Amino acid sequence: MKFTNLILSTITIFGLYSCSSDDTIPNEEEVITTVIYELAPVEGGENVTFTFEDLDLTGSNPPVITNGVLQENTTYTGALMLQNKANGEVEDVNLEIIEEDEDHQLFYIETSENLTINYTDSDENGNPLGIETTLTTGDAEENIDLTIVLRHLPNKLTSTAKEGDITGVGGETEADVTFSINVQ
Amino acid sequence: MYNKYTYLFFFFIFLNTVAQNCKLQITGTVKDAATGLPLDAANLYIEENKKGTITDSNGSFTITNICQGEYHLILSHISCTAKEVFITVTNNKELELILKHSVHELEDVLITGKSSIITNESTETINAQKITDNGSQNLATLIESIPGVSSLKNGNTVAKPIVHGNFGNRLTILNNGIAQSGQQWGNDHSPEIDPLVANKIKVIKGVGALEYLGSNLGSVVLVEPSSIDKEPHLHGKASYFFDSNGLGNGVNFQLQQYAKKIGWKVNATAKKSGDKRARDHFLTNTGNQELNLAIQLEKEFSDRWKTDLFISSFNTELGVLAGSQVGNITDLRNAIREEEPLNTNTNFSFNIDAPKQEVNHHLLKLHAKNRLSDSSFIDYTIATQINNREEFDNRRNRRTEIPALSLLQYSFFGETKYQKSFESGLTLKTGLQINYIDNANDPDTGVLPLIPNYSALEWGGFITSRKKWKNNTLELGFRYDNIIQDVRRISVDLPRRIINENNNFSNLNGSVSIKHRFNEHFTAIYNVGYITRNPAINELYSNGLHQGVSTIEIGNLELDTEKAVKTTLEFSGDVNEVFSFKALAYYQNISDYIYLQPKGLQTTIRGAFPRSEYEQTNADIYGFDLSTKWNITNSLFSTGKFSFIKGINKSDGNIGIINLPSNNFAFSLGYQFPKSITIWGKDFENLELGINSKHVLKQNNISVEQEVDLSIRDTNGNVIEELFAPIPSGYTLFGLNMATNVQIGKNRLRITSKIDNLFNVAYRSYLNRLRYFADDTGINASLGLSLKF
Repeated sequence: MKFTNLILSTITIFGLYSCSSDDTIPNEEEVITTVIYELAPVEGGENVTFTFEDLDLTGSNPPVITNGVLQENTTYTGALMLQNKANGEVEDVNLEIIEEDEDHQLFYIETSENLTINYTDSDENGNPLGIETTLTTGDAEENIDLTIVLRHLPNKLTSTAKEGDITGVGGETEADVTFSINVQ
Repeated sequence: MYNKYTYLFFFFIFLNTVAQNCKLQITGTVKDAATGLPLDAANLYIEENKKGTITDSNGSFTITNICQGEYHLILSHISCTAKEVFITVTNNKELELILKHSVHELEDVLITGKSSIITNESTETINAQKITDNGSQNLATLIESIPGVSSLKNGNTVAKPIVHGNFGNRLTILNNGIAQSGQQWGNDHSPEIDPLVANKIKVIKGVGALEYLGSNLGSVVLVEPSSIDKEPHLHGKASYFFDSNGLGNGVNFQLQQYAKKIGWKVNATAKKSGDKRARDHFLTNTGNQELNLAIQLEKEFSDRWKTDLFISSFNTELGVLAGSQVGNITDLRNAIREEEPLNTNTNFSFNIDAPKQEVNHHLLKLHAKNRLSDSSFIDYTIATQINNREEFDNRRNRRTEIPALSLLQYSFFGETKYQKSFESGLTLKTGLQINYIDNANDPDTGVLPLIPNYSALEWGGFITSRKKWKNNTLELGFRYDNIIQDVRRISVDLPRRIINENNNFSNLNGSVSIKHRFNEHFTAIYNVGYITRNPAINELYSNGLHQGVSTIEIGNLELDTEKAVKTTLEFSGDVNEVFSFKALAYYQNISDYIYLQPKGLQTTIRGAFPRSEYEQTNADIYGFDLSTKWNITNSLFSTGKFSFIKGINKSDGNIGIINLPSNNFAFSLGYQFPKSITIWGKDFENLELGINSKHVLKQNNISVEQEVDLSIRDTNGNVIEELFAPIPSGYTLFGLNMATNVQIGKNRLRITSKIDNLFNVAYRSYLNRLRYFADDTGINASLGLSLKF
């Protein structure tokens, strides 16, 4: 009987413990939900904004993509914005990327010669980072794919990485989005 | 004339001569534990006075000219584990000694002693000597030498056992009679057990160990510390082991004493290893460290009441290969195409950085045995476990210091068992068990948890009966369990909220087995059992990216209980006591088998990931295990082992079941010197030299399309280049081993040495997830020293 009492009392203690453990939803600190690529024509005109937003991440809702139209033979100043909206407010992830710029690099992969993207910023070691770019269009073309990839801990010292070529740089992908661009 | 003083005088003279009597003798016989037959040529040696002898052909021995006193008698026999017996000599003493030695025993497989309850189940055992000889190995790798047992690995440090294709949620691991309670669902989660604490590790390849609470589909691994030897003096064992690959160092201390009806035993292990090396490069960040402690106490209150207390603490930090932390399938494809894993250092290091795991597991068990009569007793057990698992990844903004996964589990267990034997040869056993688990995620990880917070209350009861008559043993058993789960999951859809789910499952388990001994040389066992297993928490509620495997895993709330019928047929015996064998065939049919069904790719902001959902199908798993031993001469022996297994998922056109071992076989040839070898004035006894080989065939039961789909696609999802993760080829590894014993003063030193992967083969194993990134470990030379005192 003593044993039974002991068993029951201990279960009660553990039961109480489990009730007191709070079930909270953690803040999703690490994620990027939104990628915005904003292009401003160098010689003036209206900004063009490309947006890729995925609020539920691994959930079943597909990402919402907003594409845009660019003018032919025009140079744009590109600004990339990375945001985390998972916790009900807009968190600027750019700050974290800039703080650890030597551990990050953005790559711009286009499927046509009619788009040219160049880095205009650099990290502490003078290697490209990719938050600030220039984009130059060539002749008119429809449905050009532009893929923007953020890598964490890539090998930034390879000659390919310095030229913005993603091949063989390794690292872990933190964002990988594709936009469809019409140049007219 | 003789007065009373004279009598007294003579009496004292007499007493005096008795006290100084050094003319006593110890006589006795040594018998084989398995056959009961006398053992000849067994060595006996008294530690205190260095007297010794050898048994004659009747197993008899006599040691003369012994003084009164207390002695340690060491008993050994060729290819047997030496045994130490404590004796008190006041008069001539007659002893009957039993040594475990038999041709029926296959290499490192001992016939289990009287403590074993399950007689008819197909059981194989790893003994204490083999555990010490392989001190640097983890539990899963250690029991891999048993046919039908493999391990699912994540590099060299993380390994979990697979028995007849069952692992994780389908395999119960019992640590000192208590079902190990942790995060068994993860393929990259090792059982948190220090094998050096165990005296023996048993693998039951049966149809269901009905006596134990815990989810399994027939097979059970039992890790059993020995009871404390009834020996009033302080004794112990100090062991050191070294591995050249990874510069692994380890020590283990064991101390024990049993005085005045109280026994205690302390067991402590410390291990540290750095980066392992494959043939061509270092495996950066694959070091590990471990610090474990176990304390055992035993007290006999009376002839009827005996209690024991067991406390163990297991603490480890494991590095995971640096190049294996990948994001989406593009990263995985890139990693697979690289010859050498990314982030590989050119230098060796002991550093353990992210990705890594930190795991602590503590167990406290209190057990009491009440002997009601000579034929009946009751066991009471209570136990509690704490399991804390933290997994770290490389994260942004100094979050690498914060675990990406952090789980804390408490469990509490209580049990009462009753056993009674009848003169008719019938034994009945029954028991009731209750277990409570609370599993919680740390909310400060900054990551949505893969599995939800939950608590579960499980209770169950069993009844088993065993009847012996003539050369037969019949066993019948039945078990019922009820599980109530209280789950607090986070919603998949937005906005995130906590949803409460309650489940109630029942499991049924029944088995029949019959053992027939045809003659001294041939035995057959037939088992058939019905087992059910309720879906585990991860199968029901997984939600999100499983970092370890780069896959989005989605649970299924509709899952039903798995139902399995397993049949085993075992033949064991020997031919002229020269060739012995054990052959086991098994067939398991599982309805509603729960598995992860790949569902193509899911596009996220991090790119594309394979998505898998838990589904149910009907499955068959069948196979055949064979082990043989051939004593070619008295000193030369050879062993052979073979495991065949096939799993069929009956949906989708009978495809294979993933993560099953490929067919494999192993051979060894050993020579034990019949006499001791003298080098530098020291006698090296039981010197044994051996060569071994292991052959693993390619996993041909699954098709390449069942591997991770890494095809290159355009933005519309059309395949530009088809590519699947490769299934590794088969491989052959060779090894050498040596073992010997040396008497140093009053102490006995055992020296073992071996070389694994002798030819430094670069290979990848299907059951190692790191096969995507790197070759398996290359050549390793190890040394073990173990001093008994």
